[in-house]
Amino acid sequence: MAEFTAEVFQNEYLADGATDAHAVVSVTCRGAGKAGEVGDAAEIIIVDTSGSMDMPPTKIAAARRAARVAVDEIVDGTWFAVISGHSVAQMVYPPHPGMAKMTSVTRADAQQAVERLRSGGATAIGAWIQAATELFAQVSAAQRHAILLTDGKIEGEPESALPQALEAARGRFQCDCRGIGQDWVVEELREIATALMGTVDIVAKPEDLEADFESMMRESMNRGVADARLRIWTPQGSEVLFVRQVAPTVEDLTARGVQTAPLVREFPTGAWSDESRDYHVAVRVPVAGVGNERLAARVELVVDDEVRAKSLVKAVWSTDTHLTTRIDPAVAHYTGQVKLADTIQKGLAAKAAGDDRTATVLLGEAAKIAHDSGNENTTRLLEKVVDVVDADTGTVRLKQHVEKTDEMALDTRSTKTTRIRREP
Amino acid sequence: MTDAATDIVRCPACAEAVVPGDAFCESCGAAVSAGAVAPTDDDTMPMELPPNGGRADGTTFSPAPGVADECLECGGDVLDDGFCSQCGKRAPSPRDHFRESPVDWVGGVCDRGIAHARNEDAMALAGMPDRSLAVLVVCDGVTSAPDSDRASLAAAREACAALVSTPLPTSQGVAATLSHWSSAISRAAATANAATIGVARSLGNPAEPPSCTFVAAVLHRDVVTVGWCGDSRAYWLPDGGPAVALTLDHSLGTELMQRGMSQAEAEADSTFHTITRWLGADSVDPTAETSSRELDAPGWLLVCSDGLWNYASPPAAVRAVVDDQLAAGHTTPVALAAALVRWANEQGGHDNITAALARHEPSLR
Repeated sequence: MAEFTAEVFQNEYLADGATDAHAVVSVTCRGAGKAGEVGDAAEIIIVDTSGSMDMPPTKIAAARRAARVAVDEIVDGTWFAVISGHSVAQMVYPPHPGMAKMTSVTRADAQQAVERLRSGGATAIGAWIQAATELFAQVSAAQRHAILLTDGKIEGEPESALPQALEAARGRFQCDCRGIGQDWVVEELREIATALMGTVDIVAKPEDLEADFESMMRESMNRGVADARLRIWTPQGSEVLFVRQVAPTVEDLTARGVQTAPLVREFPTGAWSDESRDYHVAVRVPVAGVGNERLAARVELVVDDEVRAKSLVKAVWSTDTHLTTRIDPAVAHYTGQVKLADTIQKGLAAKAAGDDRTATVLLGEAAKIAHDSGNENTTRLLEKVVDVVDADTGTVRLKQHVEKTDEMALDTRSTKTTRIRREP
Repeated sequence: MTDAATDIVRCPACAEAVVPGDAFCESCGAAVSAGAVAPTDDDTMPMELPPNGGRADGTTFSPAPGVADECLECGGDVLDDGFCSQCGKRAPSPRDHFRESPVDWVGGVCDRGIAHARNEDAMALAGMPDRSLAVLVVCDGVTSAPDSDRASLAAAREACAALVSTPLPTSQGVAATLSHWSSAISRAAATANAATIGVARSLGNPAEPPSCTFVAAVLHRDVVTVGWCGDSRAYWLPDGGPAVALTLDHSLGTELMQRGMSQAEAEADSTFHTITRWLGADSVDPTAETSSRELDAPGWLLVCSDGLWNYASPPAAVRAVVDDQLAAGHTTPVALAAALVRWANEQGGHDNITAALARHEPSLR
């Protein structure tokens, strides 16, 4: 059985009259096992086959190969389906609306069917999501996951189609989203990935798609814990300011919280493999006198209503400024990483709007945070968009010629954080 | 409870390792079984507590401080993690705050207060369900001597156990009763003193041995007998009548007043709290002074440490505070004791606070 541990990083000391307790809770899962071991698993692969996938034709060819390796990675016994997405969602495998159990026979049949994928039509992603929701509803699976590939922006369906489809799909399955090429819209895929608790990334070159699908599906098959939730108790009279996943990516979970008892809220975190995730929890508690010790939050990792790990966020009021002014390094680090993602996204938006001045300031600020926090991946991505003159002061110049895919990569991956460098 | 392989003695209540020879767990204050106790010399009493109070006649004796399972601040449940399920307040350790109510007419609360880091006060209570006999013992550890929290707890428990196992007087007259209990309390004080010396010995006889005050009250039918050593006190508060002090502090403050100072003047003097008698290895006079009183009305017997009486010293002031708390609905002994402790904390909680009460109600006997 999977084993969870939770560790809390915080400075529990609050100055007299202070009310806000911040903590980073690091949750680690070991021994997760394989998807489908506890309750069935179900996988749907959604491949964009709109007309643009033929321009150039290397895209549709790469999509076929990628779908094929993804099918390869799905372990026997898993429910699965492949959907061809264009103006409508069309079954590729099984041939009629439904899901098949993976066996050596169905795997071979599915791979043959994938070879017949042809492009033509619009990009009605809302309809594809809706179709996936309906297919998943036909099987009884503990764990449902989809991969969605597109190369373009949504067209050929009303604007309300996607929000409606996401509302119906929320909590029913997780969806990892990939954009191929440079004609898709980061915002659209991010909206889907956020709503459906999946990742979003760019695959700039068609030849990289196969490896990406392989690792994505393998990762999904390694998620042996189907559904875990963060259960957070906070004291009477308190207010949860926010609950954020801060590693490996930034994801604001605050709005996902569901009140399950008078002082308790639960936040879905989806399926888990052997991995670590960090959460930044901020709680505003009623002030207590100097010398008092209060619990600001009980943070529990819950699977099937069973508490599997627990950590305590505390508040101790003190007049000792040596104690109260220190900011916990983990809290400081991730506060910086969240700001980094936000600054990059705002900077790129300013650049897109033609406001180079604001873009330069914001991307300069981002370069400084990325440099100071040792986020080398983000630094590399930034350097493709700006020339860093002085990272220490955050002085940058916008590059004259920037590949659009580099900008999209920076935008998409801005939420990827580095982990705090812990003392050995 | 002993780890066979290592001979580590463990507390039966909290499983912490216990220093060999200790009678009580340093961590939670629970009594350690006889098996953990070092052989005793002639000048020490066995540290084993009599099982269930040691009496066949039904006197109950609470063997260990109970863990507070309800939040002292909001009344919410305290969870296993030690914090309140409602307001999040950390529950004090069992040594820092404990309540005892061996029978419904006897109860007390022993609390760390606010200013002190440890609770060096201790308390041990016993009572007969038929309301014929109550034993209330309070000891206040001397803060300047390290480990006085252990000495005070050992002293209070040993004295209470000794009194509980004392046979009842053979004749029922007032004179026989008070005479009987006066000598029993004097012996119990000697027992308690031996217990503090035992703690000192288990610590390797430190230069500044742990020490404590002592006050024990035995309420037997209509006679209360009190013995004390130091400045922990007993008061009698008859219903509707003026309260009386049953003890006179062994302190420089008392000596000042005996030389003609008013109580107010004496209490303002820096030496007021300096005690002249105490229990412990370094005590020059560990004997208990005794007094007794025949009770002719229902009322409250209060035994307390200076953490309470610092804020209400004259009997009339004690009477007023108790009456306020009774009027507020705190009418059981343990509820009244808790209310008095809370009140003392509201006054500043500058010292450890212990309040133990017995409700004398002859008509219910």
